Amino acid sequence: MSELPEYVLDRTFDASRDLVWRAWTDPDILHQWYGPGVETIIHQYDLKPGGAWLNEMKMRGMSDYSRMDFQEVAEAEKLVWHHASTDADWNVVANPMMPDWPRVLLTTVTFSDAGGKTDVRLSQVPIDASEKEIAVFAEMMSNMDGGWGKGYAIIDELLSQLQS
Amino acid sequence: MRWVGRPPRWWRGLLIAHLTKTNFLYNLYVMELASNVARQGQLDAVFAALADPTRRAILSRLADGEASVAEIATPFSISQPAISRHLKVLENAGLIERDIDEQRRPARLTAETMASAVDWLAEFRAFWGARFDRLDDVLMELKKTESKE
Repeated sequence: MSELPEYVLDRTFDASRDLVWRAWTDPDILHQWYGPGVETIIHQYDLKPGGAWLNEMKMRGMSDYSRMDFQEVAEAEKLVWHHASTDADWNVVANPMMPDWPRVLLTTVTFSDAGGKTDVRLSQVPIDASEKEIAVFAEMMSNMDGGWGKGYAIIDELLSQLQS
Repeated sequence: MRWVGRPPRWWRGLLIAHLTKTNFLYNLYVMELASNVARQGQLDAVFAALADPTRRAILSRLADGEASVAEIATPFSISQPAISRHLKVLENAGLIERDIDEQRRPARLTAETMASAVDWLAEFRAFWGARFDRLDDVLMELKKTESKE
């Protein structure tokens, strides 16, 4: 597992662990923040191992569908799910923008106390991915702060030329 | 202004996109998802094209303005035909365009493609970040509601 590329995001929230957990596991709250700037419809939210969260994000009449299949649910501690893009019938499909993007990402969210606040760690690693998919994901992860910064550097350069 | 030749007409859109990126990145992404089906795989070509350091250096050079193969080749220790091959890869990926009817066939950046590729990556990076920002707000609202009860 350790060789697999991983996406990690850490954040401390100024709220109790119970409240943060509720924000993740109560669909009425979850839909308020899960799709920032778009309408999020949670078609199903069955919080138990083997249960699924079926999610639709709407934007100007178009929809982006994804399904999260829960693997592990440890109250106020940990959520584990398989995260995949789907068609409108909730069948897993390749990412329309990046055909070689891993179809399924093993997603782990952990919650821990931090002196009245709550540390949340989100991690995503490809699962059951082909070598090519793993390579694409790895390249993306490694390039985010390295080589791909070049993309930003070029755009920043263009912008500074415009402004000068 | 260092731009002397053709005015870069895509500036305005790019500038606006850049300045407000965090706000509508995700919206952009969803729109792209639906509208770019015809360009499926193009991003693969873009990322493959950008994986090469020489090609990135060529793009940096073109960021200073359009240039001919000879002009691009000058700082590199590789031949013009090799530069031409790199330009072909960049052109196929939609990252640059070249004039057909001029002898020197100057190449220049196609910023839209560059922006969409960068945005795609930024989207993945910013996506959960944007969600977490929103979650932060929602938690604050919840705390307020709870303290009133």
